[in-house]
Amino acid sequence: MRQISAAYTKAVKELLREKAALFWTIAWPIIWVIIGSFSFTGSAPQQVIPYIKGSIAISMMVFALMIAGMSNLPASIAGDRANGLLAKLKSMPIKPYKDFIGRISAVITLSLLAAALVIVIGTAVGARFTGAGVEILQAIGFVFLVICASAGVGLMAGTLIKNLQGAIMTGVGIAVITSALSGLFVPYEGLPVPLQTFARVYPISSAQASIVHLLAGPNMVAYNPLTSSQIALTIALSFALLLVGTVLYSRLGWKLE
Amino acid sequence: MLAIHVENLVKKYDSRRVLDGVNLDVQEGEFYALMGPNGSGKTTLASIIAAVKTQDSGIVEVHGKKPTQAKECIGYVPQENFSSPKLSGKENLVYFASLMGYSRSQANQLVVEMLQSVGLSEEADKRVAKYSGGMRKRLEVATAIFPGIKVLILDEPTTGLDPAARRAFFSMIQDIMDKKTSIILITHIGSDAELASRVGLIDNGKMIAEGTPDELKRKHADEDVITVETAGKTDSVLSVLKDYSINGKVAESETGYKIYSSNGDRVLADVVRSLDQAGHKVMRIEMARPTLEDVFFRLTERHLQEATG
Repeated sequence: MRQISAAYTKAVKELLREKAALFWTIAWPIIWVIIGSFSFTGSAPQQVIPYIKGSIAISMMVFALMIAGMSNLPASIAGDRANGLLAKLKSMPIKPYKDFIGRISAVITLSLLAAALVIVIGTAVGARFTGAGVEILQAIGFVFLVICASAGVGLMAGTLIKNLQGAIMTGVGIAVITSALSGLFVPYEGLPVPLQTFARVYPISSAQASIVHLLAGPNMVAYNPLTSSQIALTIALSFALLLVGTVLYSRLGWKLE
Repeated sequence: MLAIHVENLVKKYDSRRVLDGVNLDVQEGEFYALMGPNGSGKTTLASIIAAVKTQDSGIVEVHGKKPTQAKECIGYVPQENFSSPKLSGKENLVYFASLMGYSRSQANQLVVEMLQSVGLSEEADKRVAKYSGGMRKRLEVATAIFPGIKVLILDEPTTGLDPAARRAFFSMIQDIMDKKTSIILITHIGSDAELASRVGLIDNGKMIAEGTPDELKRKHADEDVITVETAGKTDSVLSVLKDYSINGKVAESETGYKIYSSNGDRVLADVVRSLDQAGHKVMRIEMARPTLEDVFFRLTERHLQEATG
């Protein structure tokens, strides 16, 4: 437990002291929540606008979670490898899984901090949410799935890409491209049919649609993401990504050239 | 008692043998320097002893156990800086102390003593990004000297440090280590290796000589070393010098040449005269006793700084 706590504390401090990580994970989504809330509400009826703003806040919260998992996590892994820490750790009496748990817990902490700030700022600029009680708990469950899927991708990038900048840029690239392709920034109905299919299969956009459905109302989502089969697919693929990432990291993450 | 026992160690990268049947014994409390050029296999050997890498064949034991089972007593300082630049010196040490299993309060208490022992108490709360190279290396040594460490492995710890900082570094090491801790120093700097009680010379994955610094010099380079600097470095100068060096071996340095002679006093004047007759102006000439770098050159005909495995 002491070793996990040590790995966690170190990773949290490093993340909170890394200006680039804070900007992309917290400031950037907040900027877009503010811009989006005043620019993209269009000619919608007045009573719907708060929920459109809520939907925008949720999308940017999901983007923040993606960046935390897909970019900050591989940056942490690749950075420690690049500066020789992994060689040092291999000589010490610590198992890779303990370092892994500490590291991923730190990313979850940063993710939740970013998510909370995005939602608070969204609310401050007029976002309103519909859900209560069970819906909020369900939404938290989908937030957890986004974190799992993002962390899975981040573990893969951090393990397979040895270069620090390469690992960071790969993570950011995957986050931005998949966000654009899966309709995180544009309405689902505006996507071509193949991308609509991708948006339903990609666990992060599917989870995002579910959170919007639960907290901003079903009218804010062009399809029902809460069918049993859709939820099962989202859960299965989120955990599959995390599992693949974890296995890769456990087997190859500490392997040195 | 043996602290480290290495027997017929082989390590291959692809088909290349980077360690080729290496044998090595280090006694408890001994300061042993492993000296060789880049690519000679010394870092690979250190990382196998430190449980970072595994061998293809052969035996490696640290206090009678496999390295992976003896991690509690191994303190390893790799060549690359590994401390986190975003954390302070104190935070870094608390992190490593916690990884060694100390509680937060024990770690905090221990870290104060360790920072003091490596002379960083004043800089404890400063971020490592603001440390000099020497300070950072001292901090990293502190991560490898927790109570219970019996074998300290230092891989090229003085690379990038000036001579004064190097002397201060080794003085600190000798002060902080207790008499039972064995130290293995990996280096390609002869003057660093001179401080060890015993030196192993490694080249192309093989141990080519071993002994105290004096034994090595007596056995392999027991002659005068004459350093000659001329106005220019030309084949003609080289040709003159070859006639005066044992077996015609002339070592080239950045500023001139080194020749080896069993009768340096007499040869000194002859060299100056011959170079003068050949039209070469001697800028500087001096005679000295051989160093471990000279020993390596005599054994391999290559320089420690230039040779590659």
